[in-house]
Order: sequence, then C-alpha cells, then structure tokens
Amino acid sequence: MISSEDAKQKPVPSPDADSAALWRGLRDGVLLLQHCDDCRNVQYYQQGMCRNCGSESLTHRAASGRGKVHSFSVVHRAPGPAFKDDVPYAVLLVDLAEGPRMIRTYTGGNPEDVSFDMDVVLVCDAIDDETALPRFRRA
Amino acid sequence: MSDSTLRGKVAVIGIGMSPVGKVPGRSPLWLAADASKKALADAGLDKSAVDGVLSCHAFASPFHRFSVALSEYFGIQPTFSNTLQVSGATAATMFNIGAAAIQGGLAKVVLVTAGDSLMTGLTPDMALRSLTESRDQQYEMPFGIPVANTFAMTAHRHMKEFGTTAEQLAEVAVVSRRHASRTPGAQQTKPITVDDVLNSGWVTTPYHKLDCSLISDGGAAFILTSAEHAKELGIAKPIYILGGGECYTHEHIFLMPSLTSTGAITSSRKAYEMAAYGPKDMHVAGVYDCFTGTVIMMLEDLGFCPKGEGGRFVADGQMTYGGQIPSNTHGGLLSFAHPGMPGSFFHFHEVIAQLRGQCGERQVVGAELGLVHSLGAGFATNATTILGTENTL
Repeated sequence: MISSEDAKQKPVPSPDADSAALWRGLRDGVLLLQHCDDCRNVQYYQQGMCRNCGSESLTHRAASGRGKVHSFSVVHRAPGPAFKDDVPYAVLLVDLAEGPRMIRTYTGGNPEDVSFDMDVVLVCDAIDDETALPRFRRA
Repeated sequence: MSDSTLRGKVAVIGIGMSPVGKVPGRSPLWLAADASKKALADAGLDKSAVDGVLSCHAFASPFHRFSVALSEYFGIQPTFSNTLQVSGATAATMFNIGAAAIQGGLAKVVLVTAGDSLMTGLTPDMALRSLTESRDQQYEMPFGIPVANTFAMTAHRHMKEFGTTAEQLAEVAVVSRRHASRTPGAQQTKPITVDDVLNSGWVTTPYHKLDCSLISDGGAAFILTSAEHAKELGIAKPIYILGGGECYTHEHIFLMPSLTSTGAITSSRKAYEMAAYGPKDMHVAGVYDCFTGTVIMMLEDLGFCPKGEGGRFVADGQMTYGGQIPSNTHGGLLSFAHPGMPGSFFHFHEVIAQLRGQCGERQVVGAELGLVHSLGAGFATNATTILGTENTL
C-alpha cells in the first residue's frame, strides 16, 4: 500500500538493465537514441533488442534534441501531492527530428504559450547528482 | 464464420450490482460479494452452482489474487479462476474469457465480478496517486503525468485534426447526466449544461472537471453459462454473447500509432465479424467514458459515425434516445459511477438490462442487440463485446 508520506515525494526513475545507458547519457546532457545496425530502425525508449526486427545489434547515438509538439495538455490538477506546487505545467508529446516520439514536460516558459507544431529543444534538468530529467523548452 | 467461435454459445443469466457512489464502511470484497449474491439470486442459483470466478485488482484492497480472495470471502471453491489486468478494458475481456472458458469446458457456471471503493476506501489524493502508479516508472511517472493527461492529449489532437470543439466534448457530459437522472442510485443526477461543463475548472486541458468521470465506490457481478445450460435452468430471458474482440496497440502513449485512431477499430471489427452484425445493427451501446472526448473518438472507431465526425454526431443527438445509438443510458462513468475497474461493468449491467427490457422509463424500445466497449491506459487496451437476445441468434 502507498502511504500518504510516500505520495508527497516525486518518483525518481530507477534505470533497469535496458535503460542504464539512456539515464547515464541524460546525466551527461545527451539524449541517446538506439539505432538498429540491421534494419536502421531508430527507437525510443531503450530496450535490449530492436522493436522492429529483434536484432540486438543496437548503437546508441546522441539525438539532435530538436523536435516539434505533436500534442499537449496543461495539467491544472496535480496527480497527487508531489506535483501540487508545480501546476500549471504542460505535458508535451514531441516528435524528435530523428523520428521517435517522446512524452515530456515543458520548461522555461509559460505553459499557456505551448502550441501544436511548436519547435522545441531538449533540456536536461538535473534533479540530483545521479539523475537528470529530459524536458523541452521552446527552440 | 466457423462453428468454433463464441457466437451464441454462452449466455448471461444473472446480473447484480452493489449500492454505488458513496458507500462508506464497505470493502471492495464486500461490494463484489454483495453484487455476486444479487446476480445469483437474479439467476435463481445457489452459490454452490458456481465453478468459475473471474475478477480483477481493486485499488483499495491488498489482494494480488482478488478472484481467489473473493472466493474465500464468498465461501466457494471454484475450479477455474483468474484475476485479470488490462486496465479499463478488463471488463469486456472477462466476458470474452469467461465465455471461452465455458465453451472450452474449463467451467460450467462462471461468476464475473469486480468491486472497489475509490471514493471512501482511499483519500482522493491516494486514488489519483494509484492511477499514476499504473504509468511507466521511468518514462512517465517522474514527470507527473496522470492517466487523465494521456487521454487529454488524444482529445486535444482530435480537436486540432478534425475541428472537434470544447462544446461538443461538453455535450457528452450533458447527455450522460440527463441519462443518469433517470437511473435509480446514480451518483450524480443534477442536470448540467454545456456552460456548466466549460465553467467547471481545468483538470488537464482540454478537459474540465465535468469532462472527467467520477470517483466512486461500487461493485457489479454477472453469471455466465452455456446456452444449453441456460435452457435446462429455464432462464426466462438469457442474453447471449454474440461476439468479442480485443486489441492492444502499445503500452506507452508515445508509442500509440495514432493519437486519434485507436485499437477499438480492430477490437470492434473482430467482434462484429464474429457476431455477423455491424454497427448499424446495434440498438444500444455502453461506451467507456472515462472522459468526454473518449466517447467521441469511440463512437467513430466503433463504426457509429465516420472518423472525425464524432463531435457533430454527439451534438446532433445521435448518442441519446431517438438518435442512431443510445449510449450509456445509465449515465456511464461520467454520471452513474466510476469505482475504477468495476466502472465498465455497469455499462454491461445496463446494456443487458436494456436487452431484457427491464429499464423502465430508460428503456430503449425494441432493443435486441447491444455493444459494450471497454478500454484503458490511454487507449493502450481495447475490448469489445456484442450481446443479443434469442431473436438475434
């Protein structure tokens, strides 16, 4: 069961065997995408095999960090006490220049300014020594 | 269609529901067991007749194996049981799986049930937190992305692509409230207007408070058996499962193939093919309505209107009495009750009651064929069941 005390803390991502490189990269300021050496599929999120062809021959390459807003929603009612002080904040679905789509929050501006097809760029937001969360700001 | 499908092989012979809305002092197990008692009484059976139990997780209950815990609570020892989890789609999958188990000889009489107490068993913050905890721990949760937000982004994109308006979304809530006002026991019955919805305050854009479903307590239960056994028992009006279909297109919202066309297209097509009926043949529907925009997209994907026209369809009165497909005539998750997993079971309860002709002033005259669509997790999970009277076999 979840205690009320736990619900006040923001969840911190725990990397798993598939995603350790992604989170190391974000800590170092880059978003790594997986490029399949066999079928050239570019994928996000990180996993131990290509989602398209099953190949385990995957190369991590830094993304440009540039993308466009495909859809968005401004959260006014927080999902629990941990996010109460942050509202309103915009959640974005961003299509990266390399193809994959990501879900992220908007930073560095008024959430009411977000629009469809807006150009955005990645920001790595350090929340502690080990972890940086990727967000997007207006390009 | 081959004889091996479920079409017409299994019937629903009993339905029941607990009190819904605010039901303090009652556990999820009690809510499910109370509904189960009523469903058995409706079928005229003793609990000893049940040899199969299907149920699902309850947020306010610590049991991993809810179906097993419920059997103990209810004093039965079934020989077929499972606790299923595909979020909001679980309800329709339980009818499909229960029917398959009966047809395959795994069980003779299956109790399908769910109960939860999201309103009084958890604080509102804990209830919301429970919903976020079903989101991905690495890619969604750290950003404060509630499940409402994923649905909101699909609706927002629908507005951009097809010109669907906030007023059209609001109309779904208004119609649902009007339906609930005629349903005994419904949680919210006070009439609302489009302006009331638009002025109810933002939750997550484009959704206002009244675009969102309720948080409730409640349980529902159903008794399934073979068409032959239903006849042996002399059941007055068995309601037959004519078709079932499911579709799982993604887990994460960012891998949803299209934000505006969902797995409901495939799940319903499979169900229609099995039933040998199409969307124009349906008389009544239960459409999962966690949010107003969800209904508009589903009316399109279930084939009741062309893609992109769901908003106009609703505004034209097509989802209520006298329209093409009276939907959620009990008031749905938006106004009847939404205790989490049991929510979609109330759509089944209503559609089955409609097909039996038991809905009094809510009755859709001549209803013989009905569809229920359950979905969940930002459209990750979709399941459709088509039901009919003996005349439709």
